[in-house]
Formats: sequence, C-alpha cells, structure tokens
Amino acid sequence: MRKIWVVVQREFLARVRTKWFVVTTVVGPVLMAAIVVMPIVMASNGGRERSIAVVDVTLDGFGERLTLMLGAPGPLRATRLDVGVSELDQVADSLAGVVGRKELDGFLIVTDETLQDGRTEYRGSNASAQMDMDLLRRRLSEALLTERLDRVGVDPTLVAQARIPVEMRTVNIRGGQATGQSGESMFWLAYIMWFLLYMAILFYGVQVMGAVVEEKTTRIVEVLVSSLRPFELLAGKVIGVGAVGLFQLSIWAVIARLLLARPELVAKLIGLDIGSAQGLALPEIPSATIAVMLVYFVLGYFLYASMFAAVAAMSSTEAEARQAQTPVTLLLVIPAIMSLMAMISEPDGTMFVALTLIPLSAPIAMPGRWIVSDVPLLQLCGSIVLLILATVFVTWVAGRIYRVGILMHGKRPSPAEVWRWVRSS
Amino acid sequence: MSDQFAVELKGITKRYSGHTAVKDLDLGVPKGSVYGLLGPNGAGKTTTIRMIMNIIGPDAGEVRVLGHDRSGRDLSHRVGYLPEERGLYKKMKVLDLLVFLAQIKGVDHSQARRGSVEWLERLGLSDWVEKKIDDLSKGMQQKVQFISTMLHNPELVILDEPFAGLDPVNTQVMKDIVVDLSKRGTTTLFSTHIMEQAEKLCDSVCIIARGTKVVDGPLAEVKKGHRGRHVIVAVESGMDSVRSLLDERSLIAKADAYGQYAELELAEGADPQMLLKNLVQAGARVTRFEIAEPTLNKIFIDLVGPEAAAAPAKEDFANA
Repeated sequence: MRKIWVVVQREFLARVRTKWFVVTTVVGPVLMAAIVVMPIVMASNGGRERSIAVVDVTLDGFGERLTLMLGAPGPLRATRLDVGVSELDQVADSLAGVVGRKELDGFLIVTDETLQDGRTEYRGSNASAQMDMDLLRRRLSEALLTERLDRVGVDPTLVAQARIPVEMRTVNIRGGQATGQSGESMFWLAYIMWFLLYMAILFYGVQVMGAVVEEKTTRIVEVLVSSLRPFELLAGKVIGVGAVGLFQLSIWAVIARLLLARPELVAKLIGLDIGSAQGLALPEIPSATIAVMLVYFVLGYFLYASMFAAVAAMSSTEAEARQAQTPVTLLLVIPAIMSLMAMISEPDGTMFVALTLIPLSAPIAMPGRWIVSDVPLLQLCGSIVLLILATVFVTWVAGRIYRVGILMHGKRPSPAEVWRWVRSS
Repeated sequence: MSDQFAVELKGITKRYSGHTAVKDLDLGVPKGSVYGLLGPNGAGKTTTIRMIMNIIGPDAGEVRVLGHDRSGRDLSHRVGYLPEERGLYKKMKVLDLLVFLAQIKGVDHSQARRGSVEWLERLGLSDWVEKKIDDLSKGMQQKVQFISTMLHNPELVILDEPFAGLDPVNTQVMKDIVVDLSKRGTTTLFSTHIMEQAEKLCDSVCIIARGTKVVDGPLAEVKKGHRGRHVIVAVESGMDSVRSLLDERSLIAKADAYGQYAELELAEGADPQMLLKNLVQAGARVTRFEIAEPTLNKIFIDLVGPEAAAAPAKEDFANA
C-alpha cells in the first residue's frame, strides 16, 4: 500500500506541475462559462438585423399588408418592391446581385397563388440559417392566416385575440415535489454534465495510456517492476492520474458554483446589461447531483483507464498505442452519443433506462438521467453495483494483460496471445 | 538449503511459445562474492535474472534470495537491480527521481534524499541535482542509473549487462563500484558476454548456453579444470620447421601457429612433457615452453562452441 501511495504521489505531482495542467485548468472554466452563457446570448440578441425585400407580384394588395406584418417588431426589416409578372425574372437577377454585394440579405417572392396554396419562395444569403428561416416562416404563416380570416369576414380584433401565443413554464418534479427548477435549465445542466463526464473520462483515460507507453518506451518500467508488483504500479498510476482529474474537476466545480451563485457577475463578464441577466435561468446544483456525478466519474474513469492501460501495455510505441486505442475510444464514444440522443428524445424511455444500467454507458448516461428525471433508488443502486462489478472485472483482466505486456517489445501480440497472457498464472 | 548462498536456483525452467529459454538450471551465488553469469547472446541470462527478481515467474524450479523463499522484488529494499533495458523519467529532476526510485524500494524519504545527495557528490554530479534528466548527457544518465541501484545499500546487487553501452570512463566507474561493493561485503551478480571483464572482476562464474548450464564454480577451479592442456611453444628455427610434429593428432588437438610461436591445445590425456621430449628429439632448439592458464574467453569458446555464439532465431522477450 505504501508503495502504491509513492507512485500516486509521483504521478500526481509530475502532472500538476506541468504548464499543460495550468493551461487546461484556466481555459476549462472559460469554455464552461461560454457553454453556460452562449444560449442566453444567442437568444437575447440574435445577431444583427436582417433586411429583406418582398418582391410583390400580387394584384390585390396582399403583398403590401404582408410586408407590414413581416416588419412588425423584431430583427426583420422588409421593403416592398412592386413588380409585374413579366419583369419578375429580370428583377430577381438584379436583386441577386444586390444580395451578392451584401446590401440585402435576401428576397421573398409573393404571388396571388401564395394566398391560396401557401407557396412562396425565398432566395438569400441566409437561406441556411435555421433561426432566420423559422422566424420568416412563422411570420408568413401568421400573415397568411390573418389575411385568409380577414377575407372571409372575421373581425380583426377577434383574430388578434386568437393569436395570443402560449407561454408554458416547465417545472421539474422530483420525489413527488416540484423543484422550482425549469425543465429547460435542467436539460442544459444535464447536457453540460454529459459533456464534462465524457470529456473527462476520455481525456484522463488517454493520459493513463500515455503514461504507460512512456514508461515502456523509456524502458524505465523494468526498473520499476523490480521494486513494485505490476499491479501496484498500475494502481498507483491510475489513481494518480485520476486524482489529477478530480483535482481539476473540483477547481472547476468551485468556480462554476461561484459563477452560478452570481448571475450578474456572469452577465458583466460577457458584457450583458444587468436587466437581461435577470432572465438568466441558472440552475442550482444540489449536493446529491454532485455526489452522483463523482461516483460515476470515479467508476467510469477506472473502467476506461484500465482498458487504456491494457492497450498501452500491448503497444511498443506511442504511434502504435494511438492506433490500438480506437476500439476502446469507440467503446466510450458510441454509448456516449447514444446516451445523449436518448436523453434528448425520450428521457424517460426504456432506451435511456437501459443505457443507465449498462456499465459501459452508465458513467455518462446516469448523471444526466439523474438530473432530467426521477431515478428510482433501486435503479440507481443496481446501476452502481453493475458498474462496480464490471470495473473490478475489467481492471483484473487489464492488470493481467499489463503485467505481461509492459515487458514486451517488438511486434504487437495477436488476440490469441493476449488471451494467453490473461490466463497465465 | 544453507545460508552460504545469496542467490540459489534449483531446477529453474522457463518456456516460451516455441522455445525453452532456461532449462533445469541450478546455480548458487556465494555470499560476498562477485559472480559472473556468462553466456552468448540469447543464452537465457536476462530470463534467469528476471526470474531471480520475480519479474517473470519460472515454469518449474525454486528461487531463493538472501535465504528467503521470496524473490528479489519482495526484498527490493535489500536488493539492487540494474536491468539490461534501462531508462529514466525524462521530465523528472535528478534528485526527485532518485528519491522516488528509492522510496518504491521501501526507503523512507529523508534517508533516500540523504543517500542521493551523497552518491551524486561521489560521482561528480552535485551541480545537476535540480536539473531534469533530459538535460543530462547519456553518460551522466548512466551514472544516475547506477546510483538508483546502489542508493539503498543493498546486500545483493544484480546487474544485467552492466557494461553494455558504457563509455570507457563510465565502464571504469562501474568497475570501481563493483570492486568497492565487494570490499564492503556486498554480493554482486552480473551478467555479461564479454569474458575479459568477467575474468578481471569475478570470484565465481557460471557459463550458460541455450538455457542450460555448461560449467560453474569459483573462477580458479573452472580454470584449473582446463589447465595443462594449453601450451605455448617457440623454437629458434621458426614454427614451420616442426610442422609435422604439430600435426601429430594423438598429442595435439588444435594448433594455432603464428610463425614465431604457436598456441597448442593438447589432446585429451596427452602429457606436455611428451611433446617437449619429441621437440628436443627432433633437434629443435626450444626457446619457450609454457604450460599456460587458459583465458576465460578460451574456455568459453571451447565449451560453448562458436556456433552457440549466435542467438537462436526465435526470441520472445526472453532475449539474452
């Protein structure tokens, strides 16, 4: 045990003292703040004003009214061009030139048929901008609806009343009680958690791999295993790198909590006025969530780090290890992506529940599920027990591969050979 | 089992897929001796040493180190080991690294620090204590490597090809360390395929080839077993004049004639006096007649044969 502790200490200090550690620790929170704040910034000042032209080929004045409605408060500015049917092609060509010179974002072609079948066409440089097109489509639909109702003689005040939009607040229920947290902010928190766990497990797992390969290529490993059992060396290394990970995550967690507690500070940092900072729906992070995250990070990290260590032990050079790591990386990436998709589409679905129980995906999926929905205690415990069993098993196999592999040089072993290593006493 | 041996191997065997690296090897390293494990490349030297250190386990046989059933690794605080393939953490500072390597052997921090500083001073590296390994020349890195082996004052030092890749200055440093250690009663076991070095340093040797022991025992006894069969002869009229006598196969097994003198290996059971008598009877004026002690190199080649000097084709990580 004392020897493992010595290895842990060395591994920890050797990493924490590097410039790389300082840089990632500083850059991390900046990125994190950007992730937290970006959606708000994007929502609150959705970029600059768009100016479009309405090419009006209608004969009954619908184009005029449409232009008015499109221009109503918001980031759209619409100008009407009255165009005869015969001139349409020519005008469209010259407008394309105007768009090309960036004097206009695009133009909408409205004809008499638009009112009947809803067909219209927009040409512009922002035709791929989803948010712009959604807004335009929404405004157009409203304008068409109003116009159609008007034509059949419905009272305009009635139409205005009918158009009052829905404002639905979403509140999460946990353990039979409303939490006061909005559904949207919980989703964002879960998303950040997903991202953080996925990155952390991958990043520190790969670090373990690098450390093992380094010891092999510098040949220091034989000096080490003359004093340490290979398992002591492996354990010390994995714990040491993991401790660096926990240390870094804790620094970030503290910073994040400070920031979340003071949204106005966040707002100031990114140059928003205090007014819009009130709208910042920053989630609270309960201690239970942090505990769940820690448990899954630690277990998930051990699971994957020992796989990465085994891969490194099978390789003689760093280039070889990078190649050989692909299967392990996929084993992490695929469950991670599946978890994210399940979390977005159906956070209560069977798929997501299954993913939080399967040991390969549980470390990344469960903390997210814990945040967005109510996880039965039995499932949480079951998931943790399964994960512990899997981690113990994988670490045991990895340790046996490691033990033989670290002294191997030369060509990469075949799967049959690796299997022999695992079985050999 | 007695306490006279620092290392004792009984019937050690190690097989790898396709070949046997070490086969039924018995070996005893007397306490306090300088012991040479000799053999051509691929003979099984490194495999044997790794089994002594329990870096790999034997398939059969028994290893005893310092009177314990346990292996070198469990006694790492009493054993110093310098592997053939050696390396250091390149980014670590010299002192930190030495302290770490001593700590994993079970030496406590302050003692490790003190020992490191002493040794660094002794080998002239005082100015490099706070430098990174990367900044050191190769020769200096080798010295740091020696220090890490000796730092904890081990009772038994095991060196695998300690002179391989050393410059002449460090070779001398290494030899001085070995001599100094043996004066202080430390047992030293080292492997080499360079016989001249073994001859100068060893009290006892064991020659192995293809995983099996060829001969072992105190150096003087090994030599004695081959004494009396090597004769150096010179005659006044040049060696060509007695050519026919040298070709007498019942008396002489092998003759290397160099014009002015010849190195002869007598046939089994032949009497050197008979050869002298023949020479005198043939009328040659003998200017030199010496029953020589064979060099270890000569014994090695005689026993192992030139073909064994080539390593077997199939090698696992058990090379040497």
